[in-house]
Amino acid sequence: MAEKFDNLEEHLEKFIENIRQLGIIVSDFQPSSQAGLNQKLNFMISGLQDIEKCRQQLHEINVPLEVFEYIDQGRNPQLYTKECLERALDRNEQVKGKIDTMTVRALDQDH
Amino acid sequence: MTEMFSTLFGQNEAQGPPGSSSLGFGAGKPQPPLPQNQVSMVGQLPPQLGDEGAAMRKPAAMNEPFYLLRELPVGNELTGNTNLITHYNLEHAYNKFCGKKVKEKLSNFLPELPGMIDCPGTQDGSSLRSLIDKPPVCGNSFSPLTGALLTGFRLHTGPLPEQYRLMHIQPPKKKSKHKHKHHRPQDPLPQETPSDSDPKKKKKKRDDDPDRKKKKKDKKKKKNRHSPDHPGLAGSQPNSNSLR
Repeated sequence: MAEKFDNLEEHLEKFIENIRQLGIIVSDFQPSSQAGLNQKLNFMISGLQDIEKCRQQLHEINVPLEVFEYIDQGRNPQLYTKECLERALDRNEQVKGKIDTMTVRALDQDH
Repeated sequence: MTEMFSTLFGQNEAQGPPGSSSLGFGAGKPQPPLPQNQVSMVGQLPPQLGDEGAAMRKPAAMNEPFYLLRELPVGNELTGNTNLITHYNLEHAYNKFCGKKVKEKLSNFLPELPGMIDCPGTQDGSSLRSLIDKPPVCGNSFSPLTGALLTGFRLHTGPLPEQYRLMHIQPPKKKSKHKHKHHRPQDPLPQETPSDSDPKKKKKKRDDDPDRKKKKKDKKKKKNRHSPDHPGLAGSQPNSNSLR
Protein backbone atom coordinates (compact mmCIF):
# COMPACT_ATOMS: atom_id res chain seq x y z
CA MET A 1 0.00 0.00 0.00
CA ALA A 2 2.73 2.41 0.96
CA GLU A 3 4.68 1.39 -2.13
CA LYS A 4 1.88 2.63 -4.38
CA PHE A 5 1.97 6.00 -2.66
CA ASP A 6 5.75 6.15 -2.87
CA ASN A 7 5.62 5.33 -6.55
CA LEU A 8 3.07 8.05 -7.25
CA GLU A 9 4.94 10.53 -5.10
CA GLU A 10 8.15 9.86 -6.99
CA HIS A 11 6.48 10.36 -10.35
CA LEU A 12 4.81 13.56 -9.18
CA GLU A 13 8.07 14.97 -7.85
CA LYS A 14 9.83 14.24 -11.12
CA PHE A 15 6.97 15.79 -13.06
CA ILE A 16 7.01 18.95 -10.96
CA GLU A 17 10.77 19.25 -11.24
CA ASN A 18 10.52 18.87 -14.99
CA ILE A 19 7.89 21.62 -15.14
CA ARG A 20 10.06 23.87 -13.00
CA GLN A 21 13.03 23.39 -15.31
CA LEU A 22 10.74 24.04 -18.28
CA GLY A 23 9.75 27.32 -16.67
CA ILE A 24 13.39 28.30 -16.21
CA ILE A 25 14.15 27.60 -19.88
CA VAL A 26 11.14 29.59 -21.01
CA SER A 27 11.78 32.54 -18.69
CA ASP A 28 14.88 33.51 -20.65
CA PHE A 29 14.72 31.60 -23.90
CA GLN A 30 17.70 31.27 -26.23
CA PRO A 31 17.79 29.60 -29.66
CA SER A 32 20.12 26.91 -28.35
CA SER A 33 17.51 26.01 -25.73
CA GLN A 34 14.99 24.79 -28.31
CA ALA A 35 16.21 21.19 -28.24
CA GLY A 36 16.10 21.13 -24.47
CA LEU A 37 12.63 22.62 -24.51
CA ASN A 38 11.38 19.93 -26.88
CA GLN A 39 12.91 17.26 -24.67
CA LYS A 40 11.28 18.70 -21.57
CA LEU A 41 7.91 18.81 -23.31
CA ASN A 42 8.16 15.12 -24.18
CA PHE A 43 9.29 14.36 -20.63
CA MET A 44 6.16 16.14 -19.45
CA ILE A 45 4.00 13.87 -21.60
CA SER A 46 5.78 10.73 -20.45
CA GLY A 47 5.39 11.94 -16.87
CA LEU A 48 1.66 12.26 -17.40
CA GLN A 49 1.60 8.74 -18.81
CA ASP A 50 3.38 7.41 -15.71
CA ILE A 51 0.95 9.23 -13.41
CA GLU A 52 -1.94 7.79 -15.42
CA LYS A 53 -0.59 4.29 -14.80
CA CYS A 54 -0.38 4.97 -11.06
CA ARG A 55 -4.03 5.97 -11.03
CA GLN A 56 -5.15 2.42 -11.72
CA GLN A 57 -3.44 1.16 -8.57
CA LEU A 58 -5.10 3.77 -6.35
CA HIS A 59 -8.72 3.71 -7.51
CA GLU A 60 -9.87 2.33 -4.13
CA ILE A 61 -8.41 5.20 -2.14
CA ASN A 62 -11.01 7.63 -0.78
CA VAL A 63 -10.03 11.10 0.32
CA PRO A 64 -12.41 13.24 2.41
CA LEU A 65 -13.47 16.43 0.67
CA GLU A 66 -12.62 18.45 3.76
CA VAL A 67 -8.95 17.70 3.14
CA PHE A 68 -9.25 19.43 -0.22
CA GLU A 69 -10.65 22.49 1.51
CA TYR A 70 -7.64 22.61 3.80
CA ILE A 71 -5.28 22.37 0.83
CA ASP A 72 -7.15 25.07 -1.08
CA GLN A 73 -6.78 27.36 1.90
CA GLY A 74 -3.03 26.73 2.00
CA ARG A 75 -3.26 24.83 5.27
CA ASN A 76 -1.48 21.66 6.29
CA PRO A 77 -3.76 18.65 5.63
CA GLN A 78 -2.34 16.94 8.73
CA LEU A 79 -4.34 19.50 10.70
CA TYR A 80 -7.50 17.78 9.42
CA THR A 81 -6.30 14.43 10.79
CA LYS A 82 -5.40 16.09 14.07
CA GLU A 83 -8.81 17.74 14.37
CA CYS A 84 -10.58 14.47 13.52
CA LEU A 85 -8.73 12.63 16.27
CA GLU A 86 -9.38 15.40 18.76
CA ARG A 87 -13.07 15.49 17.91
CA ALA A 88 -13.32 11.69 18.17
CA LEU A 89 -11.66 11.71 21.59
CA ASP A 90 -13.83 14.59 22.77
CA ARG A 91 -17.01 12.82 21.66
CA ASN A 92 -15.78 9.58 23.22
CA GLU A 93 -15.30 11.35 26.52
CA GLN A 94 -18.75 12.92 26.32
CA VAL A 95 -20.44 9.56 25.73
CA LYS A 96 -18.41 7.94 28.49
CA GLY A 97 -19.53 10.68 30.84
CA LYS A 98 -23.17 10.07 29.94
CA ILE A 99 -22.79 6.32 30.45
CA ASP A 100 -21.10 6.83 33.82
CA THR A 101 -23.82 9.27 34.92
CA MET A 102 -26.57 6.87 33.92
CA THR A 103 -24.82 3.98 35.68
CA VAL A 104 -24.47 5.95 38.89
CA ARG A 105 -28.13 7.00 38.72
CA ALA A 106 -29.24 3.42 38.14
CA LEU A 107 -27.18 2.24 41.11
CA ASP A 108 -28.63 4.98 43.32
CA GLN A 109 -32.14 3.99 42.34
CA ASP A 110 -31.46 0.36 43.13
CA HIS A 111 -30.23 1.30 46.59
CA MET B 1 -52.21 -10.88 32.99
CA THR B 2 -52.26 -11.86 29.35
CA GLU B 3 -55.24 -14.16 29.99
CA MET B 4 -57.22 -11.27 31.47
CA PHE B 5 -56.28 -9.14 28.49
CA SER B 6 -57.38 -11.77 26.01
CA THR B 7 -60.58 -12.47 27.89
CA LEU B 8 -61.42 -8.78 27.86
CA PHE B 9 -61.15 -8.78 24.11
CA GLY B 10 -62.76 -12.20 23.90
CA GLN B 11 -66.02 -10.89 25.48
CA ASN B 12 -66.51 -8.53 22.59
CA GLU B 13 -65.88 -11.23 20.07
CA ALA B 14 -69.41 -12.53 20.31
CA GLN B 15 -70.74 -9.12 19.45
CA GLY B 16 -68.76 -9.14 16.23
CA PRO B 17 -66.59 -6.41 14.86
CA PRO B 18 -68.41 -3.16 14.39
CA GLY B 19 -69.36 -2.42 10.85
CA SER B 20 -67.08 0.04 9.30
CA SER B 21 -69.95 1.72 7.46
CA SER B 22 -71.75 2.46 10.69
CA LEU B 23 -68.73 4.39 11.99
CA GLY B 24 -68.24 6.33 8.82
CA PHE B 25 -65.06 4.63 7.57
CA GLY B 26 -64.64 3.13 4.16
CA ALA B 27 -64.20 -0.58 3.59
CA GLY B 28 -60.69 -1.74 4.18
CA LYS B 29 -58.70 -4.67 2.90
CA PRO B 30 -59.99 -8.14 3.86
CA GLN B 31 -57.92 -9.63 6.65
CA PRO B 32 -56.01 -12.87 5.99
CA PRO B 33 -56.75 -15.84 8.28
CA LEU B 34 -55.01 -15.47 11.59
CA PRO B 35 -53.98 -17.96 14.28
CA GLN B 36 -56.49 -18.32 17.09
CA ASN B 37 -54.38 -16.70 19.80
CA GLN B 38 -54.00 -13.54 17.76
CA VAL B 39 -57.59 -13.17 16.57
CA SER B 40 -58.84 -11.56 19.70
CA MET B 41 -56.06 -9.00 19.76
CA VAL B 42 -56.11 -8.05 16.14
CA GLY B 43 -59.82 -8.28 15.49
CA GLN B 44 -60.73 -5.90 18.29
CA LEU B 45 -58.25 -3.18 17.53
CA PRO B 46 -59.78 0.30 17.39
CA PRO B 47 -61.59 0.63 14.13
CA GLN B 48 -60.39 4.17 13.50
CA LEU B 49 -56.96 2.78 12.70
CA GLY B 50 -58.41 0.86 9.84
CA ASP B 51 -57.72 -2.59 8.53
CA GLU B 52 -54.47 -1.54 6.87
CA GLY B 53 -52.96 -0.65 10.23
CA ALA B 54 -53.96 -4.00 11.66
CA ALA B 55 -52.26 -5.84 8.84
CA MET B 56 -49.08 -3.85 9.34
CA ARG B 57 -49.04 -4.34 13.07
CA LYS B 58 -49.53 -8.09 12.79
CA PRO B 59 -45.83 -8.98 12.34
CA ALA B 60 -44.83 -6.70 15.19
CA ALA B 61 -47.58 -8.04 17.38
CA MET B 62 -46.47 -11.60 16.75
CA ASN B 63 -42.96 -10.76 17.99
CA GLU B 64 -44.13 -9.10 21.15
CA PRO B 65 -44.43 -11.26 24.28
CA PHE B 66 -46.79 -8.68 25.67
CA TYR B 67 -48.53 -5.75 24.09
CA LEU B 68 -46.17 -2.76 23.82
CA LEU B 69 -43.41 -4.77 25.50
CA ARG B 70 -40.74 -5.20 22.93
CA GLU B 71 -37.64 -7.27 23.23
CA LEU B 72 -34.61 -5.39 24.48
CA PRO B 73 -31.96 -4.57 21.82
CA VAL B 74 -28.94 -6.79 21.61
CA GLY B 75 -26.14 -5.42 23.77
CA ASN B 76 -23.10 -4.06 21.96
CA GLU B 77 -19.71 -4.78 23.44
CA LEU B 78 -18.16 -1.64 21.94
CA THR B 79 -19.62 1.47 23.57
CA GLY B 80 -18.41 4.93 24.38
CA ASN B 81 -17.24 3.56 27.69
CA THR B 82 -14.13 2.15 26.04
CA ASN B 83 -11.27 4.23 24.73
CA LEU B 84 -11.83 3.95 20.99
CA ILE B 85 -8.38 5.33 20.20
CA THR B 86 -6.73 2.35 21.87
CA HIS B 87 -9.38 -0.04 20.58
CA TYR B 88 -8.60 0.83 16.96
CA ASN B 89 -4.83 1.05 17.61
CA LEU B 90 -4.62 4.75 16.84
CA GLU B 91 -2.34 5.68 19.74
CA HIS B 92 0.65 6.17 17.50
CA ALA B 93 -1.32 8.37 15.14
CA TYR B 94 -2.75 10.33 18.06
CA ASN B 95 0.68 10.95 19.57
CA LYS B 96 2.08 11.86 16.19
CA PHE B 97 -0.57 14.43 15.29
CA CYS B 98 -1.80 15.65 18.67
CA GLY B 99 1.34 15.21 20.76
CA LYS B 100 3.50 17.49 18.67
CA LYS B 101 2.64 20.83 17.25
CA VAL B 102 1.55 20.47 13.64
CA LYS B 103 2.56 23.43 11.52
CA GLU B 104 -0.16 25.47 9.94
CA LYS B 105 1.11 26.08 6.43
CA LEU B 106 0.96 23.78 3.45
CA SER B 107 4.61 24.53 2.66
CA ASN B 108 5.59 22.83 5.92
CA PHE B 109 3.90 19.66 4.69
CA LEU B 110 5.38 19.94 1.20
CA PRO B 111 8.70 21.77 1.66
CA GLU B 112 10.16 20.72 -1.68
CA LEU B 113 7.30 22.00 -3.77
CA PRO B 114 8.27 25.15 -5.69
CA GLY B 115 6.17 28.27 -5.95
CA MET B 116 3.78 30.04 -3.61
CA ILE B 117 1.67 27.14 -2.33
CA ASP B 118 0.52 28.82 0.87
CA CYS B 119 -1.73 31.20 -1.01
CA PRO B 120 -5.37 30.15 -1.39
CA GLY B 121 -6.05 28.23 -4.57
CA THR B 122 -8.99 30.45 -5.47
CA GLN B 123 -6.67 33.41 -6.11
CA ASP B 124 -4.88 31.90 -9.07
CA GLY B 125 -7.49 29.35 -10.12
CA SER B 126 -5.48 26.36 -8.93
CA SER B 127 -7.96 25.11 -6.34
CA LEU B 128 -8.81 21.43 -6.06
CA ARG B 129 -12.45 22.37 -5.61
CA SER B 130 -12.60 23.81 -9.10
CA LEU B 131 -11.13 20.53 -10.36
CA ILE B 132 -13.98 18.63 -8.73
CA ASP B 133 -16.67 21.07 -9.88
CA LYS B 134 -15.35 21.23 -13.45
CA PRO B 135 -13.40 18.04 -14.12
CA PRO B 136 -11.04 18.20 -17.08
CA VAL B 137 -11.60 16.19 -20.20
CA CYS B 138 -10.16 12.72 -19.62
CA GLY B 139 -10.00 9.56 -21.61
CA ASN B 140 -7.70 10.70 -24.38
CA SER B 141 -4.38 8.92 -24.50
CA PHE B 142 -1.11 10.76 -24.07
CA SER B 143 1.05 10.61 -27.16
CA PRO B 144 4.49 12.21 -27.59
CA LEU B 145 4.74 15.36 -29.64
CA THR B 146 5.97 14.85 -33.17
CA GLY B 147 8.20 17.24 -35.11
CA ALA B 148 5.25 18.96 -36.72
CA LEU B 149 3.58 19.54 -33.39
CA LEU B 150 6.78 20.77 -31.82
CA THR B 151 7.01 23.59 -34.34
CA GLY B 152 4.26 25.27 -32.36
CA PHE B 153 6.66 25.54 -29.43
CA ARG B 154 9.25 27.67 -31.15
CA LEU B 155 9.68 30.61 -28.86
CA HIS B 156 11.07 34.10 -29.27
CA THR B 157 14.42 34.75 -27.65
CA GLY B 158 14.78 36.97 -24.64
CA PRO B 159 13.32 37.21 -21.16
CA LEU B 160 9.66 36.86 -20.37
CA PRO B 161 7.58 39.98 -19.77
CA GLU B 162 7.29 40.75 -16.07
CA GLN B 163 3.57 40.06 -15.95
CA TYR B 164 4.22 36.43 -16.85
CA ARG B 165 7.10 35.88 -14.46
CA LEU B 166 5.53 33.65 -11.81
CA MET B 167 7.80 30.63 -11.67
CA HIS B 168 10.65 32.20 -9.81
CA ILE B 169 8.59 33.75 -7.07
CA GLN B 170 9.40 31.86 -3.90
CA PRO B 171 8.04 32.55 -0.45
CA PRO B 172 10.63 34.26 1.77
CA LYS B 173 12.37 31.63 3.82
CA LYS B 174 12.35 32.79 7.38
CA LYS B 175 15.49 31.38 8.95
CA SER B 176 15.59 33.59 12.00
CA LYS B 177 13.71 32.08 14.91
CA HIS B 178 13.61 35.31 16.86
CA LYS B 179 11.09 37.36 15.02
CA HIS B 180 8.98 40.23 16.19
CA LYS B 181 5.40 39.29 15.51
CA HIS B 182 4.23 42.84 15.27
CA HIS B 183 7.00 43.93 12.98
CA ARG B 184 6.06 43.88 9.33
CA PRO B 185 8.05 45.22 6.44
CA GLN B 186 5.18 47.45 5.39
CA ASP B 187 4.22 48.78 8.78
CA PRO B 188 6.38 51.13 10.82
CA LEU B 189 7.99 49.91 14.02
CA PRO B 190 5.52 49.81 16.89
CA GLN B 191 5.91 52.27 19.72
CA GLU B 192 6.97 51.05 23.12
CA THR B 193 4.32 50.54 25.74
CA PRO B 194 4.86 49.94 29.44
CA SER B 195 2.51 46.97 29.40
CA ASP B 196 4.77 44.95 27.13
CA SER B 197 6.22 42.02 29.03
CA ASP B 198 7.73 40.08 26.12
CA PRO B 199 11.46 39.46 26.70
CA LYS B 200 12.22 40.24 23.08
CA LYS B 201 10.55 43.59 23.48
CA LYS B 202 12.49 44.09 26.69
CA LYS B 203 15.68 43.56 24.75
CA LYS B 204 14.55 46.08 22.23
CA LYS B 205 13.74 48.46 25.05
CA ARG B 206 17.22 48.09 26.32
CA ASP B 207 18.63 49.10 22.98
CA ASP B 208 16.41 52.10 22.67
CA ASP B 209 17.00 53.33 26.15
CA PRO B 210 18.67 56.79 25.94
CA ASP B 211 21.00 56.02 28.82
CA ARG B 212 22.19 52.93 27.09
CA LYS B 213 22.80 54.92 23.95
CA LYS B 214 24.93 57.38 25.86
CA LYS B 215 26.94 54.60 27.40
CA LYS B 216 27.52 53.05 24.03
CA LYS B 217 28.67 56.35 22.66
CA ASP B 218 31.09 56.73 25.53
CA LYS B 219 32.44 53.28 24.94
CA LYS B 220 32.95 54.05 21.31
CA LYS B 221 34.79 57.22 22.15
CA LYS B 222 37.06 55.38 24.53
CA LYS B 223 37.81 52.78 21.91
CA ASN B 224 38.59 55.42 19.38
CA ARG B 225 40.93 57.20 21.81
CA HIS B 226 42.93 54.04 22.34
CA SER B 227 43.10 53.20 18.64
CA PRO B 228 46.32 54.21 16.80
CA ASP B 229 44.39 55.94 14.02
CA HIS B 230 42.96 58.54 16.36
CA PRO B 231 44.79 61.90 15.77
CA GLY B 232 44.54 63.04 19.37
CA LEU B 233 46.36 60.08 20.80
CA ALA B 234 49.68 60.34 19.06
CA GLY B 235 51.24 62.85 21.42
CA SER B 236 49.06 62.74 24.50
CA GLN B 237 49.31 59.14 25.72
CA PRO B 238 52.44 57.06 26.10
CA ASN B 239 52.82 54.25 23.65
CA SER B 240 54.77 51.17 24.56
CA ASN B 241 55.98 50.78 21.03
CA SER B 242 57.42 54.25 20.76
CA LEU B 243 61.07 54.76 21.44
CA ARG B 244 62.31 57.39 23.70
